Amino acid sequence: MMWFEDITIGSKANLGTHTFTQDEIIAFGKKYDPQPFHVDPLAAKRSSYGGIIASGWHTVAIWMRLMIDFQKSLGGSGMRGGVSPGFEDLRWIKPVRPGMTLTYSTETIEKVDLKSRPELGLIKSRNEARDENGALYMSFIGKGFVFRKPDGATP
Amino acid sequence: MTTTYHFEDFKPGQRFGFGQYEVTKEEIIEFARDFDPQPHHLDEEAGRNSILGGLAASGWHVCSMGMRMFAEAFANQTASRGGVGVEECRWMKPVRPGDVLRIEMEVVETRALKSMPDAGIVKFRWDIFNQREQVASLTLLPIVSKRGA
Repeated sequence: MMWFEDITIGSKANLGTHTFTQDEIIAFGKKYDPQPFHVDPLAAKRSSYGGIIASGWHTVAIWMRLMIDFQKSLGGSGMRGGVSPGFEDLRWIKPVRPGMTLTYSTETIEKVDLKSRPELGLIKSRNEARDENGALYMSFIGKGFVFRKPDGATP
Repeated sequence: MTTTYHFEDFKPGQRFGFGQYEVTKEEIIEFARDFDPQPHHLDEEAGRNSILGGLAASGWHVCSMGMRMFAEAFANQTASRGGVGVEECRWMKPVRPGDVLRIEMEVVETRALKSMPDAGIVKFRWDIFNQREQVASLTLLPIVSKRGA
């Protein structure tokens, strides 16, 4: 497992893809974002979007799922952490429509020492979702706590 | 649905309070299975052994529950065209089974849009509380139509 010290600024990972179906877009919308353009195909058609679009919270929740699956796929070489104090600058850039496939990525952009929690460091990442043509649909700056290597620990 | 609020109706400093969302263990685990399958969101024992000190909802679940309260109490009475993003989100305290969430919302700023003359951005700050303390804070950027748009 990777300690805070093992993580390199600039390291980038492709997290994989997700295809959004109309059924899952509506199911998420009904549970967590019941605005007409997320749940009602007819109302969505009459809205400025011209059809159903995914909740932005759905688009970003899929990033989280792919990130966890990616960390698990690394097995023993995943990060030691998993708790976050929040995020910054989340942008929903283009509407995500049924049938679209987005490719998600993460890149480490900053490492922050924490005086208040000497056993942890904070990693900042730039995270994105793009379509097949490379157009950017969603981005945000993520933050995650990662444990520091204790004195005497082996890698 | 009646549209009560348009862009012109919002002024910096306005405050609104809404929501009553009961958080269950089943829903925390269901959301985590779908979107954030980490041990401290799925299992009580693993939660106790983590830095969260017990089973806790995914932060994305907290945002989504906030969105549900906002949509039901507010967005669906507003000429909202959806959000362009979130400036900042802070997850301050764990959200646990049995918590009852509510939102105190303040209008931080309103901004006309050159690209969309019939609408503007209303910057809202949500302070999300459980029955004891504040658990999260988000600054949200929805596009709201002007009257007659």
